[in-house]
Amino acid sequence: MSTTGSQITLTLSIVMIVLFSIAIIGFAIGFGLDTDADIKATDDSDISTIYSGSKSDSNSFKDSSDGTYQSILDTTVEPGSDVVQSAAPFALTPGGLISVLTRIISLPKRVIFGGDSSPFVIFFTIFFAAIGFIFALLLYKTLRGNP
Amino acid sequence: MIFFDYLYNLPNATEGIDAIAIQTFNTFPFMGALILLFVFLVVFLGGITRQKIRSGTADYSAWAILASISTLLLALLLSVTSGFIQLDWLIIVIALNILSAIWFFMDRKASEI
Repeated sequence: MSTTGSQITLTLSIVMIVLFSIAIIGFAIGFGLDTDADIKATDDSDISTIYSGSKSDSNSFKDSSDGTYQSILDTTVEPGSDVVQSAAPFALTPGGLISVLTRIISLPKRVIFGGDSSPFVIFFTIFFAAIGFIFALLLYKTLRGNP
Repeated sequence: MIFFDYLYNLPNATEGIDAIAIQTFNTFPFMGALILLFVFLVVFLGGITRQKIRSGTADYSAWAILASISTLLLALLLSVTSGFIQLDWLIIVIALNILSAIWFFMDRKASEI
């Protein structure tokens, strides 16, 4: 198995980040509710929004995964061709996850690095641009070989 | 010679340990954040150092996530009663957990997940 990373590795990493974040935020919210704490995580408006939004985004990831599986079954390879006729199996699953990751990252971005007016926003702009660029290259490499 | 001129007002010891703690935190509000920082650094730096001594290398991201979870548990316990930590610090600890998780899971090799 390659140790330099792959689409499966990247997708699983993002899934684990999302699940971990949902679990941690859910635990913090549940702890506050169960103990009737004076300081609840839900007192912060963003936490509730991110928590509910992440859950709905995760559900859309489930639907996207089902679609990916179906599209793999539907994929055909023409005789004499060594590439598949559709990019759908390689694009759907990570694409559905990026919105969840973006939503979750918005919390540390606001709390630790400052809001939208912070000069540090350029860091995330470049970071996500690089991730998008790598996705595009991976997709091309998967379909057509090394560029 | 006995000094009676303290740097801050002594807590009222007749109301129990809880009241002493809260009065101390009220006098020095940043104490809660310092305790959280202390726990985080003890787990993070202590874990890295011991693992390096044992195996020659250290899993930085794993210790970061362990330290974050330890800090979150302490922050949640301190959040039960008002006066120990502020809401902002609790949210910052949660955000620190998420950042550590991003570092940890993006750091894994394909064979380690």
